[in-house]
Amino acid sequence: MATTSTPGYNPTPEEIEFETRAEISSIWTGGRLFIGMYAFLLASLAFSYFYLRSSNNGDLWRPNHVTAPTSFGWAISSLVVLAALLAIYGQWRLRQGRVLDWEVAGWLSFGAALSALGVQIWQLTVLPFYPGSSGYASCFIGWGVVSIMTISILVYWTETTLARSIRMRSEQGAGAQLSGSAEGRLFRAGVESCTYFMGFAALSFIVFTALFYLL
Amino acid sequence: MTTTALPDTSGQGSGAAPVAKSPRQRRSGLFSQHLGTAIIGAVIGYFVGHWLGNVIAGGYTYVQNSGENAVANTLGLAFMVFGWLAGVGALNYPFAKIIGKSSRNAEEMEAWSASLGWQRYFRYTADHKVVGMQYVVGVLLFMFTGGLLAMAIRAELLNPNYHLFGPGRYIEIVSEHGTVMMMMATSIIVGPLGNWLVPLMIGSRRTAYPHVEAFSFWVFTAGYMVIFSALPYGGFPTGWTGYAPLQTQAGAGMISYLLGFAVIGIGMMAAGFNLLVTIISYRAPGMTWSRLPIFVWAILATCALLTLATPTLFAAGLFGILDRTAQTAFYVAEHGGSSYLWQNLFWFFGHPEVYIMALPGFGIVGELLPVFTRKPLFAYKVAAAGMMGVALLSFFVWQHHLFQSGINPDMRPLFMLTTELISIPTGFIFLVGMGTLYKAKIRFEVPMLFCMAVFFNFLIGGVTGVFLSDVPVNVTVHGGFFVLSHFHYTIMGGLLFAFMAGLYYWLPKMTGRMMNKKIGIWHFWTMFIFFNLTFFPMFLIGLLGQPRRVFQYAQNLQTLNEFSSMAAFCLGLSFLLFAWNLLYSMFIKVEVAPANPWNSLGLEWQTPTPVPYYNFERIPVILTDPYHYSEDGAPAVADLGVRVSAGASTAAT
Amino acid sequence: MAESSENPVHHLRRMFVLWLVLSLVVDVLFWFLVGPHVPPGHMTETAKDNQQVFNVLFVIALPVLLGVWIYLGYSAIVWRDREGAPEPVGGEVARTNSHAQVLWITITSFIVICLAAYGTIDLISHNGAGGGQGPNPAWAPAGAAAATQPNAVWTATNNSVLPVQVIAQQWKFTYRYPTFGGFESQHLILPNNTEIAFHVTSLDVIHSFWGYQLGVKADANPQIDNVAFTKTIQTGTTWIRCSELCGIWHGSMWNTGTVESKQQFEQWATTTETAQAAATKLLPPFAWTYVPDANGADGGYYPGVDQYSPTEVYGSTKAAS
Repeated sequence: MATTSTPGYNPTPEEIEFETRAEISSIWTGGRLFIGMYAFLLASLAFSYFYLRSSNNGDLWRPNHVTAPTSFGWAISSLVVLAALLAIYGQWRLRQGRVLDWEVAGWLSFGAALSALGVQIWQLTVLPFYPGSSGYASCFIGWGVVSIMTISILVYWTETTLARSIRMRSEQGAGAQLSGSAEGRLFRAGVESCTYFMGFAALSFIVFTALFYLL
Repeated sequence: MTTTALPDTSGQGSGAAPVAKSPRQRRSGLFSQHLGTAIIGAVIGYFVGHWLGNVIAGGYTYVQNSGENAVANTLGLAFMVFGWLAGVGALNYPFAKIIGKSSRNAEEMEAWSASLGWQRYFRYTADHKVVGMQYVVGVLLFMFTGGLLAMAIRAELLNPNYHLFGPGRYIEIVSEHGTVMMMMATSIIVGPLGNWLVPLMIGSRRTAYPHVEAFSFWVFTAGYMVIFSALPYGGFPTGWTGYAPLQTQAGAGMISYLLGFAVIGIGMMAAGFNLLVTIISYRAPGMTWSRLPIFVWAILATCALLTLATPTLFAAGLFGILDRTAQTAFYVAEHGGSSYLWQNLFWFFGHPEVYIMALPGFGIVGELLPVFTRKPLFAYKVAAAGMMGVALLSFFVWQHHLFQSGINPDMRPLFMLTTELISIPTGFIFLVGMGTLYKAKIRFEVPMLFCMAVFFNFLIGGVTGVFLSDVPVNVTVHGGFFVLSHFHYTIMGGLLFAFMAGLYYWLPKMTGRMMNKKIGIWHFWTMFIFFNLTFFPMFLIGLLGQPRRVFQYAQNLQTLNEFSSMAAFCLGLSFLLFAWNLLYSMFIKVEVAPANPWNSLGLEWQTPTPVPYYNFERIPVILTDPYHYSEDGAPAVADLGVRVSAGASTAAT
Repeated sequence: MAESSENPVHHLRRMFVLWLVLSLVVDVLFWFLVGPHVPPGHMTETAKDNQQVFNVLFVIALPVLLGVWIYLGYSAIVWRDREGAPEPVGGEVARTNSHAQVLWITITSFIVICLAAYGTIDLISHNGAGGGQGPNPAWAPAGAAAATQPNAVWTATNNSVLPVQVIAQQWKFTYRYPTFGGFESQHLILPNNTEIAFHVTSLDVIHSFWGYQLGVKADANPQIDNVAFTKTIQTGTTWIRCSELCGIWHGSMWNTGTVESKQQFEQWATTTETAQAAATKLLPPFAWTYVPDANGADGGYYPGVDQYSPTEVYGSTKAAS
């Protein structure tokens, strides 16, 4: 019977299992909720884009159809989409029991996201317009900040999941990530939530790339 | 160690010492992480951030010309928040995760914090009950600050011509009062009572994300520091609504407002996120949705709003900060932006925000009424459905704040309709209350007095809301003291009175000490009477033509304003009575609370006092809802399985 | 005791009778004694309409208030815990009562939907009820569009809509009359028995033009022409106050106006137009919105640009609409 030796607190195996399942459920729920919250944040930005576009105050929504450096934009989105695809692939392989495939895909995904972060920061230093020169410019800067925030979350979440996998292997031996133990199950649930968020982030980047570079 | 045991991440292997320790966490004493190191971190962070801002933007033309460096101000405050969080240890876990550490052992951490005694209240801790108590203090800090500012406002308004403050100072005070109070009101129930009670009410040992919960409190206090920093920066002139382009024109204190809301917003989202997931995932076996206490339903609805509406506030604040630092033009019409953009973003958040404030109050009243009437809650399903309905509809009414602002006129009938419709589920709390009172046996303890006051006050507030939602009447009453009185009746008269009810009711559980009844009754009557005497005349003042936020008003309104101010001072004294009651009951003349002083059937009352850090010795199996008052042969609320011998699973007793 | 043998309906019946009597009495007293004096008064049609809608809402709201108060008071007195009081009955019968629930939901929904319909009809039939409708008003009196044309003319006899531009700035309201050469006045003078179209705009931050006795409120937004309509029906003085926080002197941002007879107004307007002709030439040409031209006030933010103006630098060709 599992115990900690703390007086009064003696969870039974059933209770531990119950709480593990609750924790897995909360990772699932929390991951989806976080996507919902983030969707509202992005929707606010999209709303600002369309609102300023339709009011076009002073004819200054997008004078001369000014556009941010397109090659940078495509590079950033491609890298984020690549990161998401790698994560999805990795998670698929993990479900099939291939931890190494997941780890390799994960580190590549991390690299892609980190590169995207670098390119995004770089892009903000080479803009051909002043921030306040048009509504488009303002929205673009806003998107730049939100984009940095999003990619940073992807980088952090991916890296911490990968680091956890390394630590689990070093503490509990190979295959710890696939075990039926509480830690193993929670780990896999965490990977799934992370992958979902990455997919969502990739979709949002596609949408905003269309708004800022295609429209 | 068995495979089902929680893995020992302390590195000390199995057969651990009595309280499992991990080197980083287990220090105590002056050089560990606590409020003191948080303050040090904040100070260091502020100077580092400010210096960084000067490095980045010191050469910008607008900085050199105006002498104000918005980038330095922003970074200074942002790093102050970062330093505060780092100092108290809130960032230890996020950083530890980078090297792969996990903190699955929440109970272990809670055990450690429990071993610290009173010191744990000054630390970052994963015990939801400690966080709840910390929030009580935090919320009261906001409340007394905002209250002092309110006294200053009413002092100024005693006389239309003789001025205590210069116009700049006065508008600073008005803006600060409104913002501090709104920030407090978002978390006033979810923070202290939601965090403390929800796990106990759902039969859980913990919340879903204890780190996120503790983080939300320390961010909340950081937000206080940020918004308070507005005053030394010269304040901000926009009121709590922050309209652009006045926002763009304002001085350095505006950053405190924008960043303050962004920071508080993070705290709100964190608190809401944690509680929402907890309610969904951590309900004890047998706790079906129809057995959930109504307070938990209210918190559920509130958290749905906290998590989904606050990102818009964050975006709005971010864009405002960008306007002031990076010189974008989101809200500046002359550069392709729009002042309406701020209004729409702000109010899209702003209206769910006020329901974030109303719903927990309904939850408290719904929870307390059965206890003091000895009857089950009437129309429980209607109450729960009403709360969820309010939460959903609150996203569809925001433009009623903008009826006269020049929005597309075709929108106005639509928003008038949705606003009128939202009063239907809002009114359900009255159906529920009145049904529960029917042929009851009402015990007028202090919490019950406050509940009755909530009904009285919120009725006036809610009905006047219907007046405001009608566009023709809105032409007269918008922007004046009528709407001001409306929202004070709903927020202060509803929420704050409910908070008092909750405190008087649950403090005996939270602290093991009863609040003094006699002082409580004095507190209630003075607060109730003077609240109404202060704010009811304001309906008349508004109808008679006085706009909001003015220091000069028509001479013929002086009598009404004086009357309101005098009553407001007395209302302030009633709050001092409350503070005295807290001090007296908690520290001076302690009256130990019995285990269940109100004879409640609620699950939270079936734990010992003080509640151990693990809440329940055995995870309870819920058998029914907690409202079977006056019902012969009603089943117990839960099977707590306490008389179980070691090794057995939860058995019926 | 006696309570237990009483028919339960008595409680509700007692309350109902008390409520009915009180509501009728207070409603009637209110409607006839207080109603006619409720702000904003009778100076314009929209003011009169606002007053009437308020009164209608009040006579509906008051029974709601009384109903709940009577119930609360009654229950606090009759059903409080006292010596010999009967025990309450729990169980299913106390948890739900579908009649009460259905009745409540039906009545509240009905009231609320009726109010929404009433408000909408009122809004439409009174040309926006005196509220700002933005640059493209949906409900305007006949002739409102014609009145904004450059060649529009208003005389005391031609029964056309009088456009009045309200310019809000920190911290003053001024008024320009486009049909009288666009001269600017510090006092709002209006003709009686005339449809007025207020075109409210701002030079800097958001203000709000509140003509209290006129029953008009329209936010003044920079770069926006916010239009509100009303029809004057009585002469007298009106106060104008700013009702949107616009900076430190927001509290001082008020002045007065007058509604005079058409002839008096026409005389005042034509005389002022002539007397101020020279001064009017110095003002910016009349426009429905005004874009500030920085003329160097940009502080050199755009290096190499001497005169900053959206029109010149970025090729903007029109002001906000």
